[in-house]
Amino acid sequence: MIDVVVIGLGPAGLSAALKLAESGRTVKLVAKGEGGFQLSQGTVDILGYSPERVTSPLAAISGLPGGHPYVGIGADKVRDAVLWLRDTVGDELLVGDLAENYVLPTAVGAMRPTALAQPSMVAAHQASSYAVVGVRQLKDFPAELLAGNLGCQVAWVDLPARKEVDSSAHMFARAMDDPGYARRFASAVAAVAPKGAVLLLPAILGVKPGTWRRISDQLGRPIAEVPMQPPSVPGIRLHDALLAKFKAAGGRVIIGSRVVGCKTAGGRVASVTVAVAGGPRDLRASDFVFAPGGFASGAITVDSRGKISEPLFGLPLTQTDANAVVGPDYWAPHPLFEVGVETDDAGRAKYDNLYLAGDIIAGAERWREKSGEGIAVATAVRAAESIMGGRA
Amino acid sequence: MSARSEQSKHLRERLNNELKRVSLDHCVKCTLCEQYCPVYPVTELFTGPKFVGPQAERYRDGDSVDHSVDYCSSCGTCTVVCPQGVKVAEINSLARAVMKVEHGMPIRDRLITETTIMGKMMTPVAPIANAVLGNSLARGVMERVVGVDRKAPMPTARSQTLHGWLRSRPKPTNKPTRGPVVFFHGCAGGYFEVDAAKKSIEVLEHIGFKVLVPKQGCCGLAHQSNGLFDRATDQVRALVTQLRSAGTDLTIVSSAGSCGGMLRHEAHEILGLDDPELLDVGTRTRDISEFLMELHDAGELPTDFKRIDLRLPYHQPCQVRSQGIGMPAADLLRLIPGIEVVESGAICCGIAGTYGLKKEKYEIAQAVGKGLFDMVAATNQGVVACDTETCRWQIEKSTGVRTVHPVVLVHQAYGLS
Ligand SMILES: Cc1cc2nc3c(=O)[nH]c(=O)nc-3n(C[C@H](O)[C@H](O)[C@H](O)COP(=O)(O)OP(=O)(O)OC[C@H]3O[C@@H](n4cnc5c(N)ncnc54)[C@H](O)[C@@H]3O)c2cc1C
Ligand code: SF4
Ligand code: SF4
Repeated sequence: MIDVVVIGLGPAGLSAALKLAESGRTVKLVAKGEGGFQLSQGTVDILGYSPERVTSPLAAISGLPGGHPYVGIGADKVRDAVLWLRDTVGDELLVGDLAENYVLPTAVGAMRPTALAQPSMVAAHQASSYAVVGVRQLKDFPAELLAGNLGCQVAWVDLPARKEVDSSAHMFARAMDDPGYARRFASAVAAVAPKGAVLLLPAILGVKPGTWRRISDQLGRPIAEVPMQPPSVPGIRLHDALLAKFKAAGGRVIIGSRVVGCKTAGGRVASVTVAVAGGPRDLRASDFVFAPGGFASGAITVDSRGKISEPLFGLPLTQTDANAVVGPDYWAPHPLFEVGVETDDAGRAKYDNLYLAGDIIAGAERWREKSGEGIAVATAVRAAESIMGGRA
Repeated sequence: MSARSEQSKHLRERLNNELKRVSLDHCVKCTLCEQYCPVYPVTELFTGPKFVGPQAERYRDGDSVDHSVDYCSSCGTCTVVCPQGVKVAEINSLARAVMKVEHGMPIRDRLITETTIMGKMMTPVAPIANAVLGNSLARGVMERVVGVDRKAPMPTARSQTLHGWLRSRPKPTNKPTRGPVVFFHGCAGGYFEVDAAKKSIEVLEHIGFKVLVPKQGCCGLAHQSNGLFDRATDQVRALVTQLRSAGTDLTIVSSAGSCGGMLRHEAHEILGLDDPELLDVGTRTRDISEFLMELHDAGELPTDFKRIDLRLPYHQPCQVRSQGIGMPAADLLRLIPGIEVVESGAICCGIAGTYGLKKEKYEIAQAVGKGLFDMVAATNQGVVACDTETCRWQIEKSTGVRTVHPVVLVHQAYGLS
């Protein structure tokens, strides 16, 4: 017998599933594919801009407009949820006390606020000066651009991850988990690294948490990993850690099958229909957590006439006409991306036992305000706690 | 137009119409498929699913530009993990089939796929066949002449086929208390892995089912993954007819992990078959662990299991994962008191059907499986569980640890062995 079916393997689905499994619930997580953590920076944003840059993300929550997902939850609960995540994965993966955002350089040298970061990154916060070392065979890391924008010096090492002219960050990180390769890498970096208070390196310092320390120790100076575009090694670390914990807590995963429908009775969801190879299967459970992402994951769709809909449960959306919410200026805010589903205070929508978490919830343009992970984790924990009857 | 170009034109049309248009443009280049592909990280000869799939496909207009697609093992993982619904593995399989039609096919790829013929030929001469396959001189010749690596795992021929056993065994004594089911054992279950098939039948009978075992040939999966679509189509159609001969509304229970996937989705999605009979068989097919767990979820599986104290590494084959059913074998094994299931966490053992047999792929396949082999070495207490025959041969050959179908342990726990 399954207590809870969770739909989605992104930050929201994983967090809700883990929280429920740790409380002893029998949880089945279903996802048509992998989720957003591995594509992220491997940090946890709560609120970076509102609309100006935010220093203290929790304090800024009270200033948010009604309708924002944080407003119904409140700063205290957001803090508890994000700290739960931090403590669950441990300080080898996430650090930060939420008093103030870290401000860390991106791979192109913009400064980006975030609430929790990986210990391999945080030396870059408020550093007095930087230096950058790039790797010739890692073309995804634009070291010159990064150094140029930060106004610091750059140097290059020539150290293939394997026999090819250009490898992905993930390939380098796998190589780095081999202590021999990590030693060669650190020696090559030491030979060329320019002066600067903190040495910035691409986020390739091991898929395993902790590999970075070996390199840092050998270099004997502060270093900071700079997150890159996918495959995002820090994102992979977070995803892998949460998934392993979920499985260790007895959680079960079905990946590669899409949820295509549901059966409902008396205002409750009785089962969801999963399209496994060969045909549909009904998964029954007492409660359902719906964490399918939003526009980017295809959970909210827009047809050629501009009609916005949520096809699975037919949930009511805050706006159904895309033509009204897309502006002509690419860089301006697009209210389209705030479209989603409104929930009650327990996180439910339309059905008594359907709890929503993550991007599906209306009211925030996540990447603009840097709030995606925080909303995902806070709404996931709310869903889990509501299911657990308020008991932690 | 020659038969060959006729054939490649047809495949190209399918590639364009069914796969490319409907899914190619959904690729957002997120690289998740690359992250999980088991072949990409171990050889620079393969540029990974994103490149050979949705990316290279745009350039294949009129010619098979990218021959590295032959290094894709068809494990299906890229399609499983892609959150945008891009049919990456299917695109690759079709692109490879087109390439092989246009550029020819090594004779080896035709030979190693003839599993039923191999099984039939080897059964009467099993001791001799095993001696030959175990003989390094003979394997050396085989490697040079047909390109099957001399170190690759080969099936052990049995001197009695499953149907031979069914004919000669004493009739089951307990009366069926539930309806009939059709049993699908796959060609390996019929000829090489007879033990797993027998035990599946005995487990099903033990819990009250009447088990019908129609005569059955190969599902064509090996031909399909080698790009031999015509032969694969003939085989799977014949198998569908055979399975339907036992009844058209019965559940079909399969002990052949990967072959079940052929019936359930691959023949439809990769070979492009829309026959209602195939779709009917696909809908009714259940992996045996999935079937038993469905009973369990309905409160209908007897769990009077005897204790087996065992730390048991379990590997889910890529082609079972790609059926999107979760991990029912691990769930089932966990019901047996005393068994501590350790999931391999590995994407693929390397063999991927016939991929790891080929001499140019053998080292790659070993590298793919390395994490799994290390894990098995570190955790096993004399036995490993895995749902697909070829994967079991690969694990057993590479680790020296006895590798069995999960049902073998269920059989033991029911006190049947
Ligand atoms: C380009 C871009 C940049 C961004 N930048 C930032 C940033 O800088 N900071 C920030 O905080 N946030 C950012 N975000 C937002 C952030 O990525 C999301 O908020 C976060 O990933 C949401 O997590 P989620 O778990 O809700 O959904 P997702 O991570 O999207 O996961 C959804 C899951 O549901 C599954 N799924 C969907 N539908 C179904 C179905 N029918 N059946 C089964 N499974 C299904 C998917 O396969 C997936 O596993 C950005 C987003 C984008 C697109
Ligand atoms: S996982 Fe899917 S969307 Fe992402 S790069 Fe691969 S094919 Fe494209
Ligand atoms: S099918 Fe498997 S081997 Fe082929 S590209 Fe996809 S993940 Fe890689």
